[in-house]
Amino acid sequence: MRKMTGTDFGEWLRGRSDERLRALVAARPELVTPVPAHIDGLAARACSPSAIGRALDRLDRFSLSVLETLVLRPGPADRETLLALLARAVPGGSDGSGGSVGEALGPALDAALDLLATRALIYGPEDALRPAPGVAEALDPPAALGPPVAEVFRHHPPERLDVLLRDIDPAYKGGGPAVARLAALLADPATVARLVGEVSPQARAALDELVWGPASGRLPNARRDVDAASAQSPIEQLLARGLLGATGEETVALPREVALVLRDGRVHRDLSPGPPALEGPVRDQDLADRTAAGQAFAFVRTVEELCEVWSVDPPGVLRAGGLAVRDLRRTAQLLDLPEWAAGLVVEVAHAAGLVAVGEGDWLPTGGYDGWRIKATEDRWAVLADAWATMERAPGLIGERDDRDRPLNALHPDLRRPGAAQMRARTLAVLESAPPGLAPTPESVLARLAWEQPRRRPALRDRLVRFALREAEHIGVTGLGVPSSHGRSVARGDGGAAGLLAPLLPQAVDHVLLQADLTAVAPGPLTTDLGRRLALMADVESKGGATVYRFSEQSIRRALDAGHSAGDLLAMLERHSATPVPQPLAYLVGDVARRHGRIRVGVASAYIRCDDPALLDEVLADKRAHLLRLRRLAPTVLASKTSRAALVDSLRAMGYAPVAESLEGDVVVARADARRTEGRLAARVTAAAAPDPETVTAAVRAMRAGDSRRRPVEAPGGEVPRSPATATISALQEAIRQGSRVWIGYLDSQGHATSRILEPARMEGGYLTAYDETRATVHRFALHRITGIGEIGG
Amino acid sequence: MSDGPLIVQSDKTLLLEVDHPRADECRKAIAPFAELERAPEHVHTYRVTPLALWNARAAGHDAEQVVDALIGFSRYPVPHALLVDVAETMARYGRLRLEKHPIHGLVLTSVDRAVLEEVLRSKKIQPLVGERLGADSVAVHPSERGNIKQTLLKLGWPAEDLAGYVDGEHHPIDLREEGWTLRPYQREAADAFWHGGSGVVVLPCGAGKTIVGAAAMAHARATTLILVTNTVSAHQWKQELLRRTTLTEDEIGEYTGTKKEIRPVTIATYQVMTTRRQGTYRHLELFDARDWGLVVYDEVHLLPAPIFRMTADLQARRRIGLTATLVREDGREGDVFSLIGPKRYDAPWKEMENQGYIAPAECVEVRVTLGDDERLAYAMAESDERYRFCSTTPAKTRVTEALVRRHADEQVLVIGQYIDQLDELGEHLNAPVIKGETKIKERERLFQAFRDKEIRVLVVSKVANFSIDLPEAAVAIQVSGTFGSRQEEAQRLGRVLRPKADGGGARFYSVVSRDTVDQEFAAHRQRFLAEQGYAYHIIDADDVGEEDPAR
Repeated sequence: MRKMTGTDFGEWLRGRSDERLRALVAARPELVTPVPAHIDGLAARACSPSAIGRALDRLDRFSLSVLETLVLRPGPADRETLLALLARAVPGGSDGSGGSVGEALGPALDAALDLLATRALIYGPEDALRPAPGVAEALDPPAALGPPVAEVFRHHPPERLDVLLRDIDPAYKGGGPAVARLAALLADPATVARLVGEVSPQARAALDELVWGPASGRLPNARRDVDAASAQSPIEQLLARGLLGATGEETVALPREVALVLRDGRVHRDLSPGPPALEGPVRDQDLADRTAAGQAFAFVRTVEELCEVWSVDPPGVLRAGGLAVRDLRRTAQLLDLPEWAAGLVVEVAHAAGLVAVGEGDWLPTGGYDGWRIKATEDRWAVLADAWATMERAPGLIGERDDRDRPLNALHPDLRRPGAAQMRARTLAVLESAPPGLAPTPESVLARLAWEQPRRRPALRDRLVRFALREAEHIGVTGLGVPSSHGRSVARGDGGAAGLLAPLLPQAVDHVLLQADLTAVAPGPLTTDLGRRLALMADVESKGGATVYRFSEQSIRRALDAGHSAGDLLAMLERHSATPVPQPLAYLVGDVARRHGRIRVGVASAYIRCDDPALLDEVLADKRAHLLRLRRLAPTVLASKTSRAALVDSLRAMGYAPVAESLEGDVVVARADARRTEGRLAARVTAAAAPDPETVTAAVRAMRAGDSRRRPVEAPGGEVPRSPATATISALQEAIRQGSRVWIGYLDSQGHATSRILEPARMEGGYLTAYDETRATVHRFALHRITGIGEIGG
Repeated sequence: MSDGPLIVQSDKTLLLEVDHPRADECRKAIAPFAELERAPEHVHTYRVTPLALWNARAAGHDAEQVVDALIGFSRYPVPHALLVDVAETMARYGRLRLEKHPIHGLVLTSVDRAVLEEVLRSKKIQPLVGERLGADSVAVHPSERGNIKQTLLKLGWPAEDLAGYVDGEHHPIDLREEGWTLRPYQREAADAFWHGGSGVVVLPCGAGKTIVGAAAMAHARATTLILVTNTVSAHQWKQELLRRTTLTEDEIGEYTGTKKEIRPVTIATYQVMTTRRQGTYRHLELFDARDWGLVVYDEVHLLPAPIFRMTADLQARRRIGLTATLVREDGREGDVFSLIGPKRYDAPWKEMENQGYIAPAECVEVRVTLGDDERLAYAMAESDERYRFCSTTPAKTRVTEALVRRHADEQVLVIGQYIDQLDELGEHLNAPVIKGETKIKERERLFQAFRDKEIRVLVVSKVANFSIDLPEAAVAIQVSGTFGSRQEEAQRLGRVLRPKADGGGARFYSVVSRDTVDQEFAAHRQRFLAEQGYAYHIIDADDVGEEDPAR
């Protein structure tokens, strides 16, 4: 048997087509960050423990099982051997009659082998497949097996082994390598069966528990001296026969060989070639879509409401960042939501860049103003995307961290690496659900566990449950069923808004006016009408419809904004589906009657004088124009200039004014809705596969590295030399054809080197080319190019 | 997109467009689990509350029906959160049950052990229960039947009371349908109550709640205690019972401020029952005076707190509550639910109006403007004098005269609070005045004359309408009077403003001084009346002379 070496693997890798290499790089992008210089570098990196660990993490349970089965084989295996081994582990697959599961096994195995080969986790010809170097180590222990006999008993003193072998093997006479002999004995099914037959039922029960793992257990004073005759407890009976071995002072383990015998030739228990099916109640997909749309509409409105509230009454930012528990509770009450949902709303609004920190407060951003005027479906799509990709776990709000401090909404500590990916994977599972199925959280979790059994990020189950709960609240699912627009969010194809739009209430341009001074808008109002109504009436209830209430104050507000009673009534008449109720018309008229009878203005200072003639004089003075004086009464002038400035100016004009106390000075200021510029919240792009261009470039660079190495090694691989004119014309030709060339080049130190280039441009005595050996674009001085040669085979 | 008549709001109100072709169907579907809150002309507002949902559960509806109704009639997609909330709330009713037990008398049982454990851990429940009888039941002191129901409701786990009722002392009562018949909805209401055991019947003002009470008594055929809001209704109840049932004058007792009769059917007022002397309720023994088979609560939404406490001890007796609305201003709807019982019948308001059983009155607010001198005086008046000042302005007298002239051929009642003003009005209108000091004999003579249309205009004080049976009038003019609560006012209006014989509605004028507190009170009244579906107009005093300016 040929010894497996890294070189074998490297050669195999080099023999792969470019296409397969691209597939490898695409599936394991970490291999090309940075791009290895050549294929051997790629091979080395692909075998490094961390790279293999990451590749294994991406495997589904079945592929992993195939790999484990292969690792446990002592030598290379072909497909048929693997199939036979796996078939035993598949329920209904071992009898050869081929149940439906058994039939599925063959194709599933082929797919798994292809996947493993693509990812360079196995290699070799089809009839002699081997795990890639490093895989066996990374998988240790495979399939929840214990360490092999050799390892378990390595540190046992020779006299212990002697006692052990005497107890096990009647033919044992002493001498010879004890551990090897023990290993051979324990790998023999007949011997193991005999030994198991000797022990008590309790001991067999203990053994059964260890067979399918975990294969080790705790036992005080594990290294005790026992023999078959003196063994008391069930565990001692097992220890005395080598069915268990001490691996530490307080741990014992079931040796791998024994376990494999007891597993009856199977490596895995119930192996399933396909993922577990999603389970749950089946509902009408249309109804689910509508329900989800209703929730989506409500969610968008809630976010808008949040921003509106915060724009006039923003909560403060805690010193450590985040939103105070008290503020969240208040917000939840305001939005009429449970606290977790309010936390979600706040977090999504933040992730979508609609709220941010400004001047110590949480304020809506300028981005909010842009978002607000979009159509509801587009607004939802923005929120849903922000939610899907945010690297935070809003579900944890209100819990306490390791140091027992509360986790606040919008706090940096809510960041959970992997949250976005977990959410994306949950969404992908939802996306794969058949129409109308409302998958239970348990079945989603089971599916995720099957897809990546080795990856168990902290909080995985909780993050998935959060994601499902949030999906429902945001309207990605309805009645638990993934909605069509929700599926689109999961796919990230940008079609969500289009699918959602027809399900949403259409904008209406009329209201129903009633005698109890309410107006009901039976749907979302057109923007213009909505704004006008909001001005002259207060919103009383929101939802699919909006209920407005007219009051003296609200009508006055509209009049203050410059509308006349006639305007308001005409507007109502135009947009009302029913006649304007008499009490409403009366109210408008009544408020208008009293509106503006008392007038209030702003003045910074005034001039008072008992002699009107003197004031006439002041007003007539040209220099007084700058003082912006206004005559309120014959003996009073008001000015917007400050008192000090007024006094100074009047003095300059030759009068002798005296300043009066500021009593009665009125300053009216209205706080405007506040905004912050706020950076757009950092968006995490899910760990997506690298784009095809990157992949292609990476493979090309590595091939180039190889090509460079090989010509150099080849006999007569001398740096090319050619006449300068020939070089120039050859380069021009290469630029025209887009082909690669091999050049000799004197570097800045004057050393002769060779490069493989893809020339791009030639100008000003320089050649700009893609240097494949260094995987960068570089400029080369034409006079240093010593010659050009064909790319050798 | 469906084109349903219903819009579901995120605050759990339901907006029903009444002119929609499917509005009737929808109203029937949502009435069991949503309370009608406002009924103005175009869009009615219903509210889905936990109590309403539990009422629906008590009436045998399940969450699926509710969700189907919401989804089926809703114009827009219903937010999922709301549906979940509905289902969860409804699932809470009936997890706990109060049942009769042969040995322990009364037990609380549960189909959900976790719920039972949860409520038993509550400090408020512990003193009410006795021995644990097993994993799923616990004994309850029979005297705490009401308290435990109240407490469980507050904990959010309303118990279903299946412990049954005592029959009470038998007494023959039959309806005497001579010249009149029980309206279909009245029969349905009484039947629904009887089958449910105890509970509340909701009927709009003027729909004949008294008759439903009488029909319930005919079901029970037992001695009955009737609790009413005040002496006026006590009289009315007595008159109605004499007219509608086989009961005779001797069988009906009045237990009021003046009379203390205890008879097989006894009508008591809340006022008397809640009178305290030296810190104790003097008339509590009335509840134990006879073995009552039925307790009738008129205007359940006005039931005062002490009556609730007394009712908690009456849980073994059948109870019927009658009301126009389940909305209470003090927010004690939960106590009505747990102590009187769930809603058993809800009247199809719109339908009854269409069939002519009730007719909403038309309300007109007439605004008078104070003169410049009066305005100055008003602005300078002490705050406690302001109302009196603005509501007795002479301008009102002139307007009232004009109104009376306009309704020259109709029976007109003028209602006011201030005696000076009423005297002056009586003088101007040449009409008799009934006030507190008017002798009973004289009052009855005047009322009879008014009913017989010998007198066309009658001026009555606010005091008067508490002590005597206010006759029905086609036109009422209110010149002054503040009001305790909006409901109380609606009740009074409902009593005064019965539909006329010709089927047309009555007119109700209130004369209001512009830009004063008087107008503020009027704004409350306007909102409430409009929400109740009464037509409401506002006119200026100057327009009164014109030919029916409201139309």
